[in-house]
Amino acid sequence: MDTLVAQYSQSDYDREQYSQDEQMELYQPEPSLSLRFAMPPIAQPSAWLRAATDDNANPNCPIKIAHGTTTLAFRFQGGIIVATDSRATAGNWIASQTVKKVIEINSCLLGTMAGGAADCQYWLAYLGMQCRLHELRHKRRISVAAASKILANLVYSYKGMGLSMGTMCAGVTPSEGPALYYIDSDGTRLAGNLFCVGSGQTFAYGVLDAEYKYDLSETEALELGRRSILAATHRDAYSGGFINLYHVKEDGWVKHGFNDTNPIFWETKLNKGEFSNVTSELV
Amino acid sequence: MAAMFSQNPLMNGPNYSFNQGPSTASAGNKEHSFYPYTDNGGSTLAISGSDFTIIAGDTRSTSGYNINTRYSPKVFKIGGTTASQDDATLVLSVVGFAADGEALKERLDAIVKMYRYQHGKPMSVKACAQRLSTILYGKRFFPYYVTAILGGLDEEGKGAVYSYDPVGSYEREQCRAAGAAASLIMPFLDNQVNYKNQYIPDSGVGHELKERERIPLGRNEVEDLVKDAFDSAVERHIEVGDGLQMLIITKNGIEEIYKPLKKD
Amino acid sequence: MNHLPQAWGRPRDDVYGPYDASYLQSSHGPNQHTQSPIVTGTSVIALKFKDGVVIAADNLASYGSLARFTDVKRLRKFADSTVVGFGGDVSDMQYLDRLLISLDTEEAYSSSGHTLNAKNLHTYLAKVFYKRRSDFNPLWNQVLVAGLDGEKKPFLASADLLGTTFTSPSLATGFGAHLAQPLLRKVAPDEEAAAKLTREQAIEAVKESMKVLFYRDARSLDKYSIAVVTKDGIDLKEDEQLEKQSWAFAEGIRGYGTQVN
Repeated sequence: MDTLVAQYSQSDYDREQYSQDEQMELYQPEPSLSLRFAMPPIAQPSAWLRAATDDNANPNCPIKIAHGTTTLAFRFQGGIIVATDSRATAGNWIASQTVKKVIEINSCLLGTMAGGAADCQYWLAYLGMQCRLHELRHKRRISVAAASKILANLVYSYKGMGLSMGTMCAGVTPSEGPALYYIDSDGTRLAGNLFCVGSGQTFAYGVLDAEYKYDLSETEALELGRRSILAATHRDAYSGGFINLYHVKEDGWVKHGFNDTNPIFWETKLNKGEFSNVTSELV
Repeated sequence: MAAMFSQNPLMNGPNYSFNQGPSTASAGNKEHSFYPYTDNGGSTLAISGSDFTIIAGDTRSTSGYNINTRYSPKVFKIGGTTASQDDATLVLSVVGFAADGEALKERLDAIVKMYRYQHGKPMSVKACAQRLSTILYGKRFFPYYVTAILGGLDEEGKGAVYSYDPVGSYEREQCRAAGAAASLIMPFLDNQVNYKNQYIPDSGVGHELKERERIPLGRNEVEDLVKDAFDSAVERHIEVGDGLQMLIITKNGIEEIYKPLKKD
Repeated sequence: MNHLPQAWGRPRDDVYGPYDASYLQSSHGPNQHTQSPIVTGTSVIALKFKDGVVIAADNLASYGSLARFTDVKRLRKFADSTVVGFGGDVSDMQYLDRLLISLDTEEAYSSSGHTLNAKNLHTYLAKVFYKRRSDFNPLWNQVLVAGLDGEKKPFLASADLLGTTFTSPSLATGFGAHLAQPLLRKVAPDEEAAAKLTREQAIEAVKESMKVLFYRDARSLDKYSIAVVTKDGIDLKEDEQLEKQSWAFAEGIRGYGTQVN
């Protein structure tokens, strides 16, 4: 009866406004913890979204989402090296040369960012929250395997919706030692010694595969990471900017600088005699 | 010729071995749909200094080749206690689809006001920047068609500028231009604010040349840079012009300056 | 996800199907919901002056190129203090009119003597439009709201099917944005100039613009409505006839169709 009364005593035009609940949710100072996203109210949201945002298939698409990238990570006897470039492109436009593509999930876990910048930032921050909750619930740190699986399951549940991320989770835990996982937005999750991800992956693999050994010393490993990214920034137009270097050890990660590629390139060329394809004469 | 370098299959640029150029949907009945976006043009710009932040935007609103109005602000004070926003400490600029921009601004403003009410203190830029990111990402699958820039002063009193893409990836930067003339203004800023490609004369030969040392810019210099940037953008972009609105955030509050731009 | 360098991170055709550009139809295309505009009204034009706003629209509702209904009033009064001029779909206009009547009734019940001014009404309409566009179920109109704001100053603003809003000393929708707006801007290039205009000057400028629109807008009529909103109320005339038309300019037109000299 009440519903009947409500139905007829209500204004005809209520649907022209958001309900009280919807409004309250819109204006919450803290973001809601449940994962609810606004959807275009149409039959094929993902096709619609793609039409609006895929700047590769349609360079004139209205919304250009920032993309990357070259990222790499590899395991060696002293831990894990994580290295990235720092360029973000939207179509042919370089949107930024100073992107931080290594995301510090917590003091012992690193994530890398390739693909949609926002996707990576958001979901790795979300992963950080889940890892902290795991710590509070179980009174010990989460394993890299578990953390990467949270992310993989998560993105798999959004499969086909248009997320785009190729990420690596690197961390060292007492139970696993140095552990490295690759996760992408298709839901793929792979454990491995060495990964390169992004448009410049092939160039980085070239250098990395040639010089990689598990027994690398710390200095050698850092230099190899740097050199591989440098190769990618040199040959891949969508990569460039700065080289971001991290070393993950048992007691947490250490940052080894965010350095401009240009001086590093010239130093590599002039002092080490590499990149001899490039002329150094300034005529 | 551009196609040669574009690497773009659509423009017959160099391509990979298997076909991946854009093919249209299969034949048959095409379903047309309402297109919920439009571009209202205009440009915004933000530069942070040692103890101030300037956020500026032109005031032209366009649809296609028409000028809707010559005064439609794109830069807004956020989170003051009153409608007049006199005690606001944050500034948001939005450029792109104006209705989405307006909706985003009102939503962020309501949230920052709620925060102040619940916590008894104004929101920090850092917190607001993160929250703005989650707001934008909340519409990941139906994006706000806007490029946002958030400005304020950080905990140490230094100028802070945060720039966003339409779905919420963000970064703190020294300076950022957004909107229609971003590609005209940003290179100028790289050179004049971050001294990119500026070297000290006679400091060496060839690759030994020393880069010009970066020093924080003063407020008057930055104001002049902003004006020059917009005057130049107006000369070369049809969607930019009419008026320049500048909000300058310092520890004493937010000052607003309006300067006419060319109206042609 | 696509791993080829140039397409890195973008959707792959074998997962998402081919790229379908038809989702990017411009806003003039038909729509998967019930409607695209069917019976439509053309331009609405309006101009501020020192004490208020003049707003005008012709009385035609077209069905495609057919001049279908020639006595449709497209200026609607709200709370005897504001006029809303509707361009675009006529059925949506009538729906919005009913919505506004219900809003007025509700306000009259719930508030004591306080009414919504033109600025409030414009904000309301803009939110309705924006919510509808977000639901992919747009109200296919562009409206001009003319009246006074909270400080009793002249107020004129536009809102459209996408929720886009703006204000200006003079505004015109549809064809009027191309033909009438330049004429109105000549009279009132900015707020200061508009604040110096007298009522007579403003009416004259608007009438002249209606005439020019009738000369060149094929979907227009010589019968129109015009309203003047001031703090003394609304002076709405719904059966005006364009006066002193001069088609002499037609003699000078050369070069169209089969006419060769």
